[in-house]
Amino acid sequence: MGEMLSGLVGEHWFWALLTAGCVLWYCSVTVIVAVRGASDIGEMLRRLASSQDKSLQ
Amino acid sequence: METHFTWIDGSIVGLYLLATMAAGVMVRRFVGKVEHFLVAGREMNVFLGVASLAATEFGMVTCMYTAQNGYDKGFSGATPGILQALAMLVVGLTGFCIKPLRDAGVITIPELFEKRFGPRIRWMSGVVIVLGGLLNMGVFLRTGGDFLVNVCGLDLHYLEITMTLLLVFVAVYTILGGMLSVLVTDYLQFIVMSLGLLVVTVMVLTQVGWGQMTEAVASRYGEGGFNPFLHEDMGWSYVLFNLMLNIAAVLTWQTTIQRVLAAKDTRTGQRVYSLTSFFFVCRFLIPGLWGIAALAMLAPESVGDSTLLAMPRFLCTFVPTGILGILVAAMLAADMSTDSAYMLSWGSVIYNDILAPFRKSKWTESRGILVNRMIVAGIGVFLLIYGLWYPLKGDLWTYLGVTGTIYLSSMSVLLISCCYWKRANSWGALGAILVGAVIPVTFLVIEQVDATEELAKWIGPYYSGIATYILAGLAMVIGSLLKPNSDTKR
Repeated sequence: MGEMLSGLVGEHWFWALLTAGCVLWYCSVTVIVAVRGASDIGEMLRRLASSQDKSLQ
Repeated sequence: METHFTWIDGSIVGLYLLATMAAGVMVRRFVGKVEHFLVAGREMNVFLGVASLAATEFGMVTCMYTAQNGYDKGFSGATPGILQALAMLVVGLTGFCIKPLRDAGVITIPELFEKRFGPRIRWMSGVVIVLGGLLNMGVFLRTGGDFLVNVCGLDLHYLEITMTLLLVFVAVYTILGGMLSVLVTDYLQFIVMSLGLLVVTVMVLTQVGWGQMTEAVASRYGEGGFNPFLHEDMGWSYVLFNLMLNIAAVLTWQTTIQRVLAAKDTRTGQRVYSLTSFFFVCRFLIPGLWGIAALAMLAPESVGDSTLLAMPRFLCTFVPTGILGILVAAMLAADMSTDSAYMLSWGSVIYNDILAPFRKSKWTESRGILVNRMIVAGIGVFLLIYGLWYPLKGDLWTYLGVTGTIYLSSMSVLLISCCYWKRANSWGALGAILVGAVIPVTFLVIEQVDATEELAKWIGPYYSGIATYILAGLAMVIGSLLKPNSDTKR
């Protein structure tokens, strides 16, 4: 397994690690942002709506 | 042109466009004040900020120039992304400049400058920001259109119509909802964009293969394809110019900094920067890999001199039907989020800083919103006209770097001085603005004129860029020291 990995990565280990990091970053951050970002939008719109209501009163 | 794009892909794209439009238009009812339109009432939280910053800073144009970097420079082409990620992480963790900027509660950077350097410097800063920003954004439409036309196999004559329709579409929801529409649509666009980027990248890595890609880079560019200092078109001047450019961009690029200004507090703004920092490596490396795959798979004669189009030409036959629809939807998502955020950002500077002298009697909120909407529409019209006639020479990333430098050099010098150098004053600021604008504009002009084209090639964009940053800094120091000391105590 180690031999296969080192053969795959080869002498360009820096770029191979960076490429793997990019794929992992997208896989993880997309899911986190999809979930937490939706609640951020909800919270933002609620605050704006309540501030509009206050200014109308 | 042969392509796998069919009605199935078209339906995926159509569905995505409708969903975006609906979301963008729905939030318009929350826009009651200018502050809502320009900075979303400063209610943006961390994860929405990450989605928005990432979506804004990745457009079709980004995909094109980073893929071109991959094709022309191999893995070394991702160097600017690594530098930008490092700069963003350091700034996010330390709050360098962005903390005092957000604490000041301003809407734009020039507004902060007025407190230190006076209203004239604020106005001039606004002018160079808009000049540099619009010249920079001017090539977005044509380049994005090039991608769509090549991937979808459309007739070249449809390029103008395609890009016009796309711009009108984006302009409608940006004009109606401002920053609120931008944030909500950015969120959707980030998810669609990430999905498309991941699927295509995994396909490239598994089907073209890491070994074939590294071999292609090694055989074409040797060690220079993996080490920017050894690449014949790069070297230390490329790395240094990009380091300066990316530090300045992280500190003062209006579309980036607007996420800090829209954040609900300073800590949130800093966290958005830190969490998004690694994205800037992805932003260069992922399309760079697509460009490298094009290098490995396409015959050089089929690409010719138009290396910008190598990646879309490769993808249109490599990606199968269905996935191609997801890719095009992802790229449209990327482009729309960039266009909307950029139109709003430059519009905010025009309204807040360039029109500031005309707003001495306070405008009502509804009048302010109306003027902002008209400005965004005007920028859209400018983009259509400029995007149609400007002939791009040299590589796209360098053009963007040179036009960005028009304001990045002076604005970064002004911002650092404003936050951390007590002796900085309006004379120094004026000198930095003039030097920072004159050098890159002169370079762009001599590059376009036939008689001086060779001179521009001899100087090169990197030395011109480095000189601009250094001389802008010197102008600030010399100008500030020349002005009598009493005037600096504001």
